[in-house]
Amino acid sequence: MKNLAFHIAGLSFVLAACHDNPKVEPGSQPYQFEVPANFPAPLENRENPMTKEGIALGRLLFYDVRLSGNNKISCASCHEPKLAFSDGKALGNAGVSGTTLHRHAPALINLAWAGNGLFWDGGSTNLESQAFGPLTAADEMHQDLFELVDELNAVPDYVTRFKVAFNEKITSQSVVKALAQFQRSLVSASSRYDKYRRNEPGGNLSPQELIGWQLVQEKCQGCHAGELFTDHDYHNNGIDADFSNDALEGIFQGRFRVTYKTADIGRFKTPTLRNIALTAPYMHDGRFESLEDVLDHYSEEIKTSPTLDLKLPEKGLKLKEEEKKAIITFLKTLTDQEFITNPEFSRP
Amino acid sequence: MKRIFIFALAAFIFSSCDSNDDASDVAPVTNSKTSITFDARVGSADFALNKDFTIGSRTYNFSKLRYWVSNVTLVDAKGAEYLVPNSYYLMEEVGDLNLSGTIADKLTYPARKRETIEVEDIPAGEYKSIKFSIGVDARHNDNLSLADGELTIANGMSNIAWMWHTSYIFTSVGGTVKEGTTGGDFTAETGLNANYKTVSLDFTTPVNFATTKGVVLNLDVTRIVDGIDLIKTPKVNAAQATIMSALANNYGTKALSFSAISK
Repeated sequence: MKNLAFHIAGLSFVLAACHDNPKVEPGSQPYQFEVPANFPAPLENRENPMTKEGIALGRLLFYDVRLSGNNKISCASCHEPKLAFSDGKALGNAGVSGTTLHRHAPALINLAWAGNGLFWDGGSTNLESQAFGPLTAADEMHQDLFELVDELNAVPDYVTRFKVAFNEKITSQSVVKALAQFQRSLVSASSRYDKYRRNEPGGNLSPQELIGWQLVQEKCQGCHAGELFTDHDYHNNGIDADFSNDALEGIFQGRFRVTYKTADIGRFKTPTLRNIALTAPYMHDGRFESLEDVLDHYSEEIKTSPTLDLKLPEKGLKLKEEEKKAIITFLKTLTDQEFITNPEFSRP
Repeated sequence: MKRIFIFALAAFIFSSCDSNDDASDVAPVTNSKTSITFDARVGSADFALNKDFTIGSRTYNFSKLRYWVSNVTLVDAKGAEYLVPNSYYLMEEVGDLNLSGTIADKLTYPARKRETIEVEDIPAGEYKSIKFSIGVDARHNDNLSLADGELTIANGMSNIAWMWHTSYIFTSVGGTVKEGTTGGDFTAETGLNANYKTVSLDFTTPVNFATTKGVVLNLDVTRIVDGIDLIKTPKVNAAQATIMSALANNYGTKALSFSAISK
């Protein structure tokens, strides 16, 4: 991928620190974000320009159990590289309290393009703000942010790295900036599908996979759109008929808990289909164990409610068995082994 | 671990990215400093915590009054603007706040009354008005890692302590409200980018900050709660979008006024 990926000329917006004055901190080296040839341009990121040092620091922090209150779990505990940075569980209980969460841990894939809110309901606008959520939540990492800074300050290597990457002493703000830089570097664009799209060696799709691709374009890409296989938007995909349970600050009501607009009741974020064979189980609560279950849902089990997405027929997509098989065969071509084994992303 | 939040914490200003190009319109001859006071009032009385006030037919007793003032701008006689750099201030009157379990296991935010901000390096000139906003602008509201001015998630004025929507609480007033035998506790808060309100107040006469100590503005709490039924809706936050919007409008359009120049 590296050779064929091209650099958008003057990709200065990825590196820009100030509106008219692109710069990174002295002593740090700008990171040349490589945009895969079949991808759109990533989001403009002026506030937290990526540097090699910032990304490397973010990687260390991502895998460091010092980030949790009990010093036993790290971000990677629920976002494992081998599962495309997901956890393989419907609802995790790896947090400090051991309490089972109410939402499925999302995979971390191509977040440099994720510009329409994070979390299943979009309650966070960017990766920097988002990180404060799991860091402080009692049922997740439950970290005291003052203790976090103390614990990191006790490691001379961290003190040096923060100084180089951000030209400042360690703060919780620079912790989340480094984590965000690392997460934005997690680009998955080397699946067999990508190689097919870019006419690269090994980029062959079988006749059945090509049929599946055609079906995915027709049936799925209304929401799982484009080369990123997500529209980064929110939809009610018919998995429930009733969203009246407003417990836990509306956690079961989808994007409504953030916007309080009735049109957003039951709408959840579209996840990418990339690496989908690795990120089971599926849906915001992990209710479907397999891709077969997911396709059965879209095919026959759509539940209607006032906010059901208009792209979904109320009676379902009515897929034939061979169509479901072809779709799943194609979806497996989106698995990116280079992504999940990339030494730049793995535990340091 | 028990921690007391230190106000100076907010001083780690590392960004000088805010563009102040407008300031170049004002000739920097001798720069001045001044104080800007936001005097909290209840009608004609001075605002105070834990004291009964009658507003209309209701009795209020306040336990807190907190709000972000941001992007303070002084406008000179020619209309040129001086944006005070990193101007994000938490104005407040609170008793000890227990913030344990928000961003720290044990966290006490100590009682504090803060009505005045100090502004330095004001370009010389005659100024006719002041502009500022109540709340936090979208750029900063959407990114909790931007620690400009006094912005921090460590003081209970961000939604880390409120709900899973990572942004700042713009304003917060709480206490009890009673009418006869009805009523009880209330907390009325605003937030979200749509409720960021900019206020512009004219001075009665042009002000030269080289020869004045400062300006005094009034924040009238009777106007903050004007038209907001806090017995019927004792918790105003994002879940009551219409009422929250009306509350934010009160801050933006009628609660603040110019009071006096202090010589």
